[in-house]
Amino acid sequence: MPQPTSQDEKKFEIWGVVALILGVVVFSGLLTKAPGFWRAFDFTNLVGDFGKIVKDAAPGFRGSGGTAARDGFVFALTLIPGVMLALGLVNVIDYLGGLKVAEKLITPILRPILGIPGSAGLTLIAALQSSDAAAAMTRQLRDDGFINQKELNVFASWQFPGGPPISNYYTIAVALFPYLTVPIILPLIVMVIGKFAVANVMRFAFNRNTK
Amino acid sequence: MAKSEVAAGSRRTLMDMFVEGARRGWNIATTNMMPNVIMAFVLIQALKVTGLLDIIGKVFGPVMALWGLPGEAAAVLVASFMSMGGGVGVAASLYTAKKLSGADITVLMPAIFLMGALVQYMGRCLGTAEVDSRYWSHIIAICVINALLAMWVMRAILIFF
Repeated sequence: MPQPTSQDEKKFEIWGVVALILGVVVFSGLLTKAPGFWRAFDFTNLVGDFGKIVKDAAPGFRGSGGTAARDGFVFALTLIPGVMLALGLVNVIDYLGGLKVAEKLITPILRPILGIPGSAGLTLIAALQSSDAAAAMTRQLRDDGFINQKELNVFASWQFPGGPPISNYYTIAVALFPYLTVPIILPLIVMVIGKFAVANVMRFAFNRNTK
Repeated sequence: MAKSEVAAGSRRTLMDMFVEGARRGWNIATTNMMPNVIMAFVLIQALKVTGLLDIIGKVFGPVMALWGLPGEAAAVLVASFMSMGGGVGVAASLYTAKKLSGADITVLMPAIFLMGALVQYMGRCLGTAEVDSRYWSHIIAICVINALLAMWVMRAILIFF
């Protein structure tokens, strides 16, 4: 990564930091019950509620007592706003350079936490959002000599469980957010730690085998 | 290109970016999520009508009790293994059927993903990246064990809520 030199690039990076912090806060669910103004910076509050069709009914148009494909269809329809909101926000964060900043933060710690070189930082950030892009980039890293086959195996075992955590969580798990009894970020954190656990078990196994 | 536009503080472009992402969200939701959810709801209905869901609940009851979950939760894990959307759909439909509680869903959540769609990602991730194929089965086994451990972690976290 070349260091930013011009004024424009510095300004750009500041926006990236702001976007990244806001993104983490919005997606964390920490401000769901915050007072007043701060409630706006929360995914659950931004996605809002459906109106009630009749007074005293539950919000939404799903009705009650539906079954099978028809109930599944209406249920899936109710999820679409959340998915659209999530991907809209991620696109804005990416555009403002938030992901670039995340990459800079993560690159120096890749060696200790995964045993792979910092040059894989961009791929790791990509792997948060798209497993297909990341898998192709990983192979390219090996072909270009940035990582060896052992490091590729370890890195891919990080990418493998759960696929891209951010996009999968906020497009698929969004269906279960209303039922969660903890802030929405906690299961995601457990998931990401789980990915590191799998990769490090593989890393340990490979290191033992090659010694 | 993007840099100079942001530096100029172009507001309209930010909204364009949001709309572009939201449109991608619509495409994912309708082509990917919705068919998976419908598949899961139909599957659960078939299991319910045939009485198999009750049998699954009874058979897996003792195993799932290790995580403080009802036996039906096993259906969520099996469905997840094939597709995450399916697993989430099964969980949502079991919640609607009052077979799973909010706490149960919370415990299952990380596992739905950590062991989710492994068959599919075998090709998309391990295959595309060219991981040595002799290690694939090891990685999958570790992923499943890891997902089961994650449910205990989630159960422990629930103590604080």
